[in-house]
Amino acid sequence: MSVIEEAIREFSRLPGVGSRTATRLVHSLLRGTTADARRLARSIDELVERIRPCERCGTFAEEELCRICRDPARRGETVCVVESAFQVHSIDRTGEFRGRFHVLGGHLSPLDGIGPEELRIRELLDRVSRGDEGIREVILATNPSVEGEATAVYLEGVLRPLGVKVTRLARGLPVGSDLEFVDGLTLAEALSGRREM
Amino acid sequence: MLTGLGLVGFRNLEDRELEIPPEGVALVGRNAQGKSNFLEAVYYLEVFRSPRGTRDAHLISFHRDHFRLVGGLAPGGEVSAVTAAVQRGGSPTKKVTVDGREPERLGDAVGHLGAVLFTPGDVRLVSDGPGERRRFLDILLSVNHPGYLEALQRYRQVISHRNAALRSSAGPAAIQAWDALLSRPGGLVSAARAGWVRDVGEAFAEVYRTVADGEAATMEYRPATPGADDITIEGAADPDAWEARLRQALADSLEGDRERGATRPGPHRDDLRLRVLPEGSEEDEGETRDLREYGSGGQQRTAALALRMVEASTRARRLGRPPLLLLDDVFAELDEGRSRRILRLLDETATGQVLLTAPREADIRLRPGELARWTIEAGRIREAS
Repeated sequence: MSVIEEAIREFSRLPGVGSRTATRLVHSLLRGTTADARRLARSIDELVERIRPCERCGTFAEEELCRICRDPARRGETVCVVESAFQVHSIDRTGEFRGRFHVLGGHLSPLDGIGPEELRIRELLDRVSRGDEGIREVILATNPSVEGEATAVYLEGVLRPLGVKVTRLARGLPVGSDLEFVDGLTLAEALSGRREM
Repeated sequence: MLTGLGLVGFRNLEDRELEIPPEGVALVGRNAQGKSNFLEAVYYLEVFRSPRGTRDAHLISFHRDHFRLVGGLAPGGEVSAVTAAVQRGGSPTKKVTVDGREPERLGDAVGHLGAVLFTPGDVRLVSDGPGERRRFLDILLSVNHPGYLEALQRYRQVISHRNAALRSSAGPAAIQAWDALLSRPGGLVSAARAGWVRDVGEAFAEVYRTVADGEAATMEYRPATPGADDITIEGAADPDAWEARLRQALADSLEGDRERGATRPGPHRDDLRLRVLPEGSEEDEGETRDLREYGSGGQQRTAALALRMVEASTRARRLGRPPLLLLDDVFAELDEGRSRRILRLLDETATGQVLLTAPREADIRLRPGELARWTIEAGRIREAS
């Protein structure tokens, strides 16, 4: 296989990239300056060399602890539990949450052989019971899917005995949408979760 | 009302664009020419799966790589066209559209034809195991009960996780996490089934009595949820009541379920019990006979037909108009007396469009003068009469 073919094959392994797009990407790299291509290569290299899970919360970090866990302005008494490291970014971007995170690395899914031991649940319980962070509330922000809900139910069960407050993200209507286009299930959830004004 | 049917690569049927007359069609052909396939194609556009339980890929003609069905509906209705296509492949891909758009949920796609299918194979609803009768309830309620299909899909998804967890070494807490998610959709499914059976039980008995010339039969919902006995007739359709019973039953059966590696309580093991009361006896547990075990061929076919008849009236109520009746050789294997009485009932029910099949001209006994006569031979349909 030629060097070009190999590069095309590697690109086309990326999600959302078919062989045509991969070919275009490779051609574009060959047409551009050598410096541009080198920069991309270096960036990919650093990505795999330097990014690792944060030792405390499990999100992407460049050092022992991630940017959020090192931030002294963050309040340690609240921990937000998410399924994946990318969701840390989503929640952080809102600016509404000033606590720390805990990444599970997935959700319970017995059909795929994922039980509690396959997730970073032991680490979460350790963080809560160790007490050095002063955790008083755990927010369960797993996905509103069947598996995410089951994971939340399970976590609630194992966290409650530790004497910590356990909360779940609210479910309801998407902001800025029109009621008539909201699906029935979401609408039903929003109805049952209504609040007094 | 169905105004047109497009067929491409479906079973043995020739590729065609057919115009369907408003009153309907009587399709005549010898056995194994494709009569049932024709009705199957129409009904596929109602529920997007084969009524015979055939896998999608097996519906594609030999030597073809896909099938495509197009149903045109009369103007003035909510929807004017439904299509279904399945492409052969490692995992066959299915595409369903309603008015040119792919619906987000299957629940939004089903039921636009407003059809009810009667086939000789319906006898299995009575003679086979509970699974056949659950399938009957599931398809019926999916098109007639809003939210049922979503609840059922959710229930099935959660129960496969729970069963996988039971078979793994997971501790009780990792199994109970699924219980909380199972009882709500399970409660919705049970309540819809119980409510339907309650509401049409009398109609079922009436149809059976008429066709069987006075013999009495009953239909009864047999939930596989222990502790549900105290749910009253009035409260039968209340999901909260069923949810509470199922939640308790799941908690109670946790240990036993772990030993067996399977979930025992819940609507996935329900049955619909059909029984006859022998002539001259009072309605009493000891005297009734289960049709599945003790019913004669004629009794079983009559009960199956009665199920379809109550399905048709449920459909009519839901649609606010007569359903499209698909009658596949309905008088097959029934004696003359029963056939005559069924015909009378159908004449009252089949006030809308009818597509029926028969092996010979002489077998077209329903509205014989009105329906267009088509013939079918080796999958080729001819509209000439």
